[in-house]
Amino acid sequence: MSSNVNALVLTGYGLNCDIETAHALTLAGATAHRVHINALLAKKVMLDDFHIMAFVGGFSWGDDHGAGVIQAHRMQSGIGDDLARFVDRGGLVIGICNGFQTLVNTGLLPGIAGEKTGRVRSVALITNDCGNFRDDWVSLSVDTASPCVFTRGMTSLELPIRHGEGKFYCDSTVLETLRTEHQIVMRYADRTGKPASGRFPENPNGAIDDVAGICDPTGRVFGLMPHPEAYVHFTNHPGWTRRKVKARRADQPFPPAPES
Amino acid sequence: MPHQLEITLKSDLPDAQGETVKKRAYDYLGIALKRVQVIHVLAIDADLTPDQCEQVKRVFTNPVTQVSSFSSLPLYFDWTIWVGFRPGVKDNPGDTARETIVEALGIHFEPGQAVYTSRRYCLEASGLDADAADRIAAELLANDTIEQWKVFSNDQWRKTGGMGVVIPKVKLDHTPTVTTIPVESDEALLAVSNERNLALNPNDIPTIREYFLRKTVQAERTAKGLSGPTDIELEYISQARSDHCNHNTFGGYFRYTDLETGETQEIDSLFATCIKGPTLAMQEQKPWVVSVLWDNAGAARFDEAHSYVITGETHNSPSNMEAYGGAMTGIVGVYRDPMGTGRGARLVMGGYGFCTGHRNYGGDLKPKLHPRRLLDGVIEGVKDGGNKSGIPTTFGQVYFDDGYMGKCLVFVTAIGIMPAIIKGEPAHEKRTVPGDCIVMCGGRVGKDGIHGVTASSEVYSDTTPAGHVQIGDPYTQKKMHDFLLCARDEGLIRFITDNGGGGLSSSVGESAVFAGGCEVWLEKVPLKYEGLDQWEIWVSESQERMTVAVAPENIDRFFELSADHAVESTVIGKYTDSGKLHLMYDGETCAYIDLDFMESDFPQWRFDAEWVSPAWRGLCEPVLSPPQDYNRLLCEMLARPNICSKEWITRQYDHEVQGGSVIKPLVGEDRDVVSDAAVTRPVLDSEKGIAFSQALLPAYSQIDAYHMTTCTIDEAVRRVIVVGGPWNAIGGVDNFCWPNIQYDTTTNPDGKFKAAQLVRSCQALRDACEAFGIPLLSGKDSMYVDGHLAGRYGETRKVSALPTMQFSATAVVEDVSKCVTMDVKAPGDLVYMIGHTADELGASEYYAHLGFVGRNVPQVDTAACRAQYKAVATAIDRGLLASAHGIYRGGLGVHLALSAMAGMMGMTIDLTKIPCPTPLSDDRIIFSESPGRFLVTIAPEDKAEVETLFEGAVFACIGSVVEHPALTVNGSSGGPIIEVNVDELKQAWKEPFGDLI
Repeated sequence: MSSNVNALVLTGYGLNCDIETAHALTLAGATAHRVHINALLAKKVMLDDFHIMAFVGGFSWGDDHGAGVIQAHRMQSGIGDDLARFVDRGGLVIGICNGFQTLVNTGLLPGIAGEKTGRVRSVALITNDCGNFRDDWVSLSVDTASPCVFTRGMTSLELPIRHGEGKFYCDSTVLETLRTEHQIVMRYADRTGKPASGRFPENPNGAIDDVAGICDPTGRVFGLMPHPEAYVHFTNHPGWTRRKVKARRADQPFPPAPES
Repeated sequence: MPHQLEITLKSDLPDAQGETVKKRAYDYLGIALKRVQVIHVLAIDADLTPDQCEQVKRVFTNPVTQVSSFSSLPLYFDWTIWVGFRPGVKDNPGDTARETIVEALGIHFEPGQAVYTSRRYCLEASGLDADAADRIAAELLANDTIEQWKVFSNDQWRKTGGMGVVIPKVKLDHTPTVTTIPVESDEALLAVSNERNLALNPNDIPTIREYFLRKTVQAERTAKGLSGPTDIELEYISQARSDHCNHNTFGGYFRYTDLETGETQEIDSLFATCIKGPTLAMQEQKPWVVSVLWDNAGAARFDEAHSYVITGETHNSPSNMEAYGGAMTGIVGVYRDPMGTGRGARLVMGGYGFCTGHRNYGGDLKPKLHPRRLLDGVIEGVKDGGNKSGIPTTFGQVYFDDGYMGKCLVFVTAIGIMPAIIKGEPAHEKRTVPGDCIVMCGGRVGKDGIHGVTASSEVYSDTTPAGHVQIGDPYTQKKMHDFLLCARDEGLIRFITDNGGGGLSSSVGESAVFAGGCEVWLEKVPLKYEGLDQWEIWVSESQERMTVAVAPENIDRFFELSADHAVESTVIGKYTDSGKLHLMYDGETCAYIDLDFMESDFPQWRFDAEWVSPAWRGLCEPVLSPPQDYNRLLCEMLARPNICSKEWITRQYDHEVQGGSVIKPLVGEDRDVVSDAAVTRPVLDSEKGIAFSQALLPAYSQIDAYHMTTCTIDEAVRRVIVVGGPWNAIGGVDNFCWPNIQYDTTTNPDGKFKAAQLVRSCQALRDACEAFGIPLLSGKDSMYVDGHLAGRYGETRKVSALPTMQFSATAVVEDVSKCVTMDVKAPGDLVYMIGHTADELGASEYYAHLGFVGRNVPQVDTAACRAQYKAVATAIDRGLLASAHGIYRGGLGVHLALSAMAGMMGMTIDLTKIPCPTPLSDDRIIFSESPGRFLVTIAPEDKAEVETLFEGAVFACIGSVVEHPALTVNGSSGGPIIEVNVDELKQAWKEPFGDLI
């Protein structure tokens, strides 16, 4: 049964999480379409036909001039207006890893109200403090007061991070606005949910204020470094074999039935 | 007029790249720097207006974090070092910058105009002299095979007013020419071969000459305007006959003698007798073996609708010369093999194996790169190649031995998945048909990578051409990969193969055999720059290219898709049924050879093999009394380089992209202990997975390469079984890396012994695979793992690696929810050991730790192993095992510790319960490396069921998991001989490389 919620998942130019992101959106109830960036830029595919747009992980254009920089530029100059219209008419945008890097370079994030267009580059994702690419699972605490529509009902979660340029950075005024507007959707935390307070590896990249993901003031544009599409099967979790044994010993079903 | 844009981080931001340079300057060169800042430079070779410059500045400068300027940035430095590519080296960032500028400004670049990227490092260091600055440039920042550099002191910089704009444009004012080679005598041809570095085998030369002197051949050639062989024809023959492509060593004729028993054997081709024969026989009995022995990779059934595809390669010689580029080209290159298998497979995972000298080597020998730098470079190459390809690197191993300083080993393995059927035709079958277009897709051709194949068939020396080192380009290849899968699914691909070793010469030459001929128009091949000779175009190993056969009726759609994906594709010729390999340039024939000439009977390589038994070599067991301080001994065993944690490597590799990760490379409560194997779900809506593992045990070759080989296979198999793989449907991949086995009194005096080791190893491969029912889905060999290194007194010493075989094992897991990890899970669980522990410590980590080799090398009892494999696999299938782990290098003590560390729980073990065929002292039980053994833990209530199930296999309950996080081992005396906290064990295990990230 195909859903009437259409999700567009970008592919091409070195992006590499398109298949699993489309799979995740399908599991979430959408009809996912993998669309090559060129098809969108050439307007062979129109954004107006979609409700959700996903900027996925990868290394767009090789990422040699700063992660997401070229993709952001191509999107802005090619379909910047369509993109703005898509957001303004209530479309949802999620940017994961390279997609997050791209969104902050387009200015769609944080899209702070009050800025002239609300769409200038005011935050950045820069080289990890550890100086290297890192793949690890992190614990995240969610700001329940955030307007973000993607995290409603969530307080915490675990996801993998896989990046070399994920350190969130901005000046103190911008940070203050993000805090007060609850645009900091999720922060790196320890396993008990307490803030990582910059500690490595709980905070894997040195992000200021442990920022892992932010949204725009509407909550409909969301970007994060961790990969939600990489945790859509119980066996994705690094501790699943331990949970399985615990459950079996306690005569509980495993995998646990999904909450409805 | 060219413009140069300098971009750097704002002064208040830490420069992580600069910090890395600072750290390495100290680690590698012992040079202390105060501060390093990196400037990224764009040299734009085009006329831009001031407005256009401003726009470019805006696009490439992040206002939040960066500052930039079209004049030199006024950063303070004592020394500044500029590093950029040499002319002609692939500058992908430069290409994307040009693409972006063209798009942003709506301008055109004239042919020859381009954008070039480079870096300028600003070094702050008081008292840094010119020599030190030069060393930092030459040995640390630049990679001299592909990069150039300039060093300026603060004064020089101010006096010269900076360095100006550097445009590394290739200028070859050279008209492509085909040269005819005289063949009046064998000597003459051999001379040419040496002078042109063709590496023709002297034994082949008469056959080659005979062909070109044949009357009928000469008549045909005259008609095409050719006389004697052309350079391009000899290059074609040279690479097709190279050991790398043709495997002359494995196809050779061996006369084997066991000097002790006098027994002799005559072996006509190790490949035919030990690999091809057994595998084909097994394919008959195993319907899941889909395609083996002929394509770029082997294929096996994943499910009704899919096959998985696997192959393993090595990239030793290039990595040894230029670690980063060599390793990256290796991983990116092996990823093209599944893409070029059948009609093309989607890549789903990769694996790596690195063998180098000890990271802290402090001896006399001076290799081109110290093992520490070599390993760092190799790690980084596989990181960038793998991560940027979007393929998870889910398994890997590192092995240190100073024998690898002559030449390091870099194993790279790739697994892909493809539909069983495409448009009604089996996807694993392919053939070219006369009339099909020959299409080259992906990258362009330059002088890079020329003579790679022939060079890797030689012992490394100063005269080896560095030109064959390339930098892989995963970005270009990823675009091509995505495009080709779309073309495949539309049924547009009739045949596909990659351009790796030998370039077009291999890919076109081999694919033309199916159609029965080809005609190639070399002037159509897109070049990076003009001026290449025809033979260079033909054999260049420029990367990221595939050769595809497309039927004429599909060509338009194929090119439409190619354009949509921004991938360059070009028709460079057509397949024919002429029986000829026909190459032309601007209408003139430059090669015209009978395709079946390569089939003609070139003389078989011959080897004398003399086996000297361990006893005859005087090997014996050490005289050793049991130690007193087991706690310290165990901790120091855990800290040995080949046992300790290498988490810093694993975490640099994306091992979860594509969303199918089931068993990760690091497992346990703290997710920091090495898993036995990896499991991945390549098809996201299926519950099936692929279990994958690898093993290599070169140390055992010190005693007997036969047992090295069987033990390696046993280890790989056990690794796959303990995570949940079936015991009776396992596929294998063999990768041999051997020193030169051709005897020579002065240059290779032990060649006959090395040849005997190879014979024994191949026969062991045959014996073990037949006993375990393992078909060899793929395999490769890389010979000449030797090097001549400068010593302390200006002498050079030949260093040969231990005979090494990496074995990869794969199996399809029917239901991933049954998978198991090695970490103990619950206090109160019972610990079982499966398999005998015998007096088998020859070449063990324990003996090595004490400075011995010994003689009792571990030996595989295949019958006993099969029973044990079956027992464990069945128990896992029934969901009875809480944890399962194999016992490998280091023996029981080390692997108990690892299971406890992973679970962050204690274990109490009774050594007297360990099944031993003959009584053994405590230290032998703890450190024996007997193969076929497993450690598993189960819930007490499952005891009866498990023990009935284990009947027929050797097993015993040897202890239990306890809450208190300490490993306690009670010895023969009854009392505890080991009592160490898990934290302490883990600290010891992590300490050696703990400060690396």
